[in-house]
Order: sequence, then structure tokens, then C-alpha cells
Amino acid sequence: MSVVDASLAGGYAVGDFLLVVAAGFVVLAIGMLYRAVKGPTMQDRVLAVNVLGTNTVVILAILGAALSEPTFLDIALVYALLNFLMAIAISKFTVERGGVL
Amino acid sequence: MTGTITPVVAEVTAIEASLFVFVVLTALATAFARDVLAAVIVFGAYSLGMAALYTFYRAPDVAMTEAAISAGVTTVLLLLTLAKTTRIDHEAAFEAVNYPAAGAAGLLFVGLAITMVDVPAVGSPDAPVWSNPDVTQWYLAETYAVTGVENTVMAVLAAFRGFDTFGEAVVVFAAGIAALIVLRREVFA
Repeated sequence: MSVVDASLAGGYAVGDFLLVVAAGFVVLAIGMLYRAVKGPTMQDRVLAVNVLGTNTVVILAILGAALSEPTFLDIALVYALLNFLMAIAISKFTVERGGVL
Repeated sequence: MTGTITPVVAEVTAIEASLFVFVVLTALATAFARDVLAAVIVFGAYSLGMAALYTFYRAPDVAMTEAAISAGVTTVLLLLTLAKTTRIDHEAAFEAVNYPAAGAAGLLFVGLAITMVDVPAVGSPDAPVWSNPDVTQWYLAETYAVTGVENTVMAVLAAFRGFDTFGEAVVVFAAGIAALIVLRREVFA
């Protein structure tokens, strides 16, 4: 019996609580989406998507803990790297047009 | 392992519902954004949400591919295309709705939604994958002994049909080299 299965108040396990926390982070991501869509400048959008990516890494880590799947952490690491690549590529594009890589 | 696996019929949880909302919102924003660069950026957010959904459905290999191809490679390729062409600055934030195109997309959605009725539920014993239980059970039981890979899906991809996957890798590698050659020529022309 792992920590995830330990019961909290009301018969709910820690895993259930973590799932609700992850859902809360997704709601925060939807809030951040407003900035990504609205802008008004490209820098706002780049920053918003960067925050969204970091948010996704956190969500994946929480899901890995809640569902007892440590391999999710590997995906979270790949995400962190890709998030960095995406932010760098878009930032370079907005500063010097044509210089993506 | 001789006993059959009891299927679990899933219900929509809070995290699924919130991820659905996120994915639909990002998809709509990508479709309606007037500025192309904004659409590319929001599309990156869309694929991140989609990959989180795949991960929640225990398909980490699909999630990894979605993240690498959609968030990584596609974003960079679209940005490169934008850099080689012209980007027009627009005053309006959102595109006006093109009603014929929206109608065509709606018809496609309705056509796909009709087929959804016949899709078996998650883990349903009536699913076609269980129509030949001997084969399914053989893979589930013997995969580790034959290949030494714990994940059955991974074993099928990388061991049982390894040459097929190898061919796919060659195609992707060739496409990457071709893209690099084309870019190098345009840059130094």
C-alpha cells in the first residue's frame, strides 16, 4: 500500500486529492490561455505559452504521483525540454526575423 | 497469466473535463486567430494539452510523439515557413467566420460524431480487440518472455514489428535531412 492509497477525510485517498489538484492546475492553464490568445504583443503570447508548458510539466508530475506511474516523469522531462525549445524558437523569430534555429 | 483481464469502464473525471475544455478552447483560438504567428503559438499550447490528455489515458508513447512532433517540430517548421515568407500585421485579433468553411467543418464533425455511437466504451468486453481472445492473451502472456519488454504496446512496436518501425525511422530521418538541405540552400543562396 503506497502513500497514494492512504485515506484522507471522507473516505477519499491521497490519489483522488492529487487528481483534483491536477484538474485545478488545468483550470489555471485555461485562465492563462486568455493571455496567449489576447496578447496584445507577441512577447505576452510567448510568455503565456511558456507558462502553459511549465504548467503541463507540473500536471504530468502530479498525474504520475496520483496514478502511481513513475514513467510519466520521463514525459514531463521531455516536455520541459520541448517547452524551452519552443520558447527559444519563437523568441528568436520575433527578435530577428528568419533566425529560428 | 491465464485469467482474462476484467475491463474497467471509465467515467469522465474532473481532470478529463478540464483538459477537454482547454483543448477545445485552444483549437478554436488556433482556427480563429487573425495573426498567423499567434495561431502557431496557440497551436503549441493545444498540442501540450492534447499530450497531457494522452498521458492521462495511459498512452505515454503517443503523448511523447505528440509533444515531439506537434509542439516541437511542427512549431519550428511553421516558424521557418513564416520566416521565408511574409507575415502581414493585422489590426483585428480574430478572423471573421467563413460560413461555407464552417459549414463543411460542421458536416465533417456530424459525420464523425455519428460513428462515435458505434465505438465500444473504454475497456468494453465487446471491443473488436477481444474478438480473438487467444491472440490477445498470447501477446499479453508471452511478450515479456519472448522480448524482455514489459510494455506490450512497446514490444509490438519495437520488437514484433521492429523492421516496420525501422523503415519508419529511415523515412523520418530522410525527411529531416531533406528539410535541412532545402533550408541550407535558401539561407546561403
